[in-house]
Amino acid sequence: MSFLLDAQGIGITFGGLKAVQDLTVQLPAGVLYGLIGPNGAGKTTAFNLITGVYTPQTGSVKLAGQTINGLRPHQIAKAGLSRTFQNIRLFGELSVLENVMLGSHVRGTHRLLATLLRTPGFVAQEEAMKRRAMELLAIFDLARMADEQAKNLPYGDQRRLEICRALATEPKVLLLDEPAAGMNPSEKKSLSNTIREIRDRFGLAVLLIEHDMGLVMEICEQITVLDHGQVISVGTPKQVQADPKVIEAYLGVEGSGEPSGEVSHA
Amino acid sequence: MKTLAQHISEISPARAFRPVAVFVPWVVCVLLALAVHFVSPLLVNEYWESVLQRMGVFIVAAVSLNIVNGFTGQFSMGHAGFMAIGGYIGAGVTYYGSLILHGSVGDPNFAVQGTLLMLAGLVAGACTAAGAGYLVGLPSLRLRGDYLAIVTLGFGEIIRVLLELTPKQVSDAAAVKASPIVSFFGFNGATGFAGTPAYANLFWIWLFVAITCVIAYRMKTSSSGRAFLSIREDEIAARAMGVDLTKYKVRAFVLAAFFGGVAGALYSHTGVNPSPTDAGFQRSFDIIIMVVLGGLGSVSGSVLAAMILVLMPELLRDLQQYRLVLYALLLIVMMLVRPKGLFGVKEIWDLSRGDRKQPVGKGGTP
Repeated sequence: MSFLLDAQGIGITFGGLKAVQDLTVQLPAGVLYGLIGPNGAGKTTAFNLITGVYTPQTGSVKLAGQTINGLRPHQIAKAGLSRTFQNIRLFGELSVLENVMLGSHVRGTHRLLATLLRTPGFVAQEEAMKRRAMELLAIFDLARMADEQAKNLPYGDQRRLEICRALATEPKVLLLDEPAAGMNPSEKKSLSNTIREIRDRFGLAVLLIEHDMGLVMEICEQITVLDHGQVISVGTPKQVQADPKVIEAYLGVEGSGEPSGEVSHA
Repeated sequence: MKTLAQHISEISPARAFRPVAVFVPWVVCVLLALAVHFVSPLLVNEYWESVLQRMGVFIVAAVSLNIVNGFTGQFSMGHAGFMAIGGYIGAGVTYYGSLILHGSVGDPNFAVQGTLLMLAGLVAGACTAAGAGYLVGLPSLRLRGDYLAIVTLGFGEIIRVLLELTPKQVSDAAAVKASPIVSFFGFNGATGFAGTPAYANLFWIWLFVAITCVIAYRMKTSSSGRAFLSIREDEIAARAMGVDLTKYKVRAFVLAAFFGGVAGALYSHTGVNPSPTDAGFQRSFDIIIMVVLGGLGSVSGSVLAAMILVLMPELLRDLQQYRLVLYALLLIVMMLVRPKGLFGVKEIWDLSRGDRKQPVGKGGTP
């Protein structure tokens, strides 16, 4: 079976801290995949390894067969990997429309002379970027805010705009870093619908980091659980939920007030 | 969902070819330059014409610096260095070129060829400045904020010191013909380079003002311009969305330096002798103030701010020693009243539209 995103045994060490160790994540096309773990487990570091913010010290990452570890972040974006951020990173002073049009940047050509002379090729590309951005905004119900500055949008809209911008890069795999953070239950509900819709409509694989267990268990088909930089469990939501290691990582061990596991077995 | 490429292929070439939008700005450029050139002598005396020349030069300088400091958010403090490079090379080409081709400098019979020499020098100066911009742009990939500011400040000072070390000016045509390359760098050290004829009249200066503004505005409103702005807003997000930071930061520096060089070359042809202090930080600060006052990222803001800041000392001349105090006070008040400059990132024509639109957008649509 070939995977759209195939990260094999990736890891990185910061000083003496093994932030992520021997992590393998494999996403077939069309999957909704969850990456969970307690605070400080290395989830965001794992994202940064895959997206090229950090270069993995061990292992390899392949995107649709193309090796992408070692490439720079913008090259990885071009290869077809896009992401959102845990703490929203929109281009605040730019309009909502411009934010999404910037997403199309990576699929365009940007010759200096064509830009300055406004050649037909340039005009056509600008027009196409705008059309595509408006289509995407319409899907996310943001079209009426196209001319607003991104920073003026309400929080939930900013989160959706970030997903919208990520989709404008025409990704094969979408990485969402805690998309439900700070949302209320009804917003979370609509977010989970949106994520499913995106997957169905664009046929891409989605890798999701999330703290909200309800959301992850509801929408993800496969889950990898990280703790202290190591994979402690892999499987379907049901399997993971029943795994004693996972329960231990999240809740500590039954019958012991101590956070460390070994003591209680004595 | 269609891809960008599919969207592009659906747009007919006829729709994409917009002659009015493509060519009219250039025609307007020429008309504006002609208008300033022929109308201003009817209205003002020679002194104010020289103020108009200065104003034009500083508009070009401010608009070009805005590409780096405003669009891309890389704080460069060495713009005067690029101006000086353009100024000296431009003046050198005209001066020594005249000596070689005509045997003397500033002969009225040689004015047409002299003007062509000026344009050649302008291109040479701008390209050299652009090359220097490339070299300064490279460290910007590793440096941020204050540190980049210090490096660019240092660049300006290096240029100033290098110019102070240049050998004496050669005024003998035979000596120049004998060793043209060595003579060319005779920029006369700390005293300054004298005798460049004032070929840059109001037409040429305002032509380049208009061209610079059209180019800066077209950059801003393009996919490249959005890449610049995205770097300014959030580098991490920009590169995650596929913006090549290296390419666009360097591109911004090169473009800004190129037009900085144009400004310098024009200035050295207005009868002002270029001197090494032109590359110093005082001049760089003057231009930065224009950019910040106009609004980081606003082309029309830079134009207006440059106009105001060139005019203000002239208008306040009657107040004599108090004028610098007043100048400083006006700047402080400006920063308090409009902390983002006159127009922020917007253009002058966006302001009324934006103000009208907001209440409708917020309360009107269901």
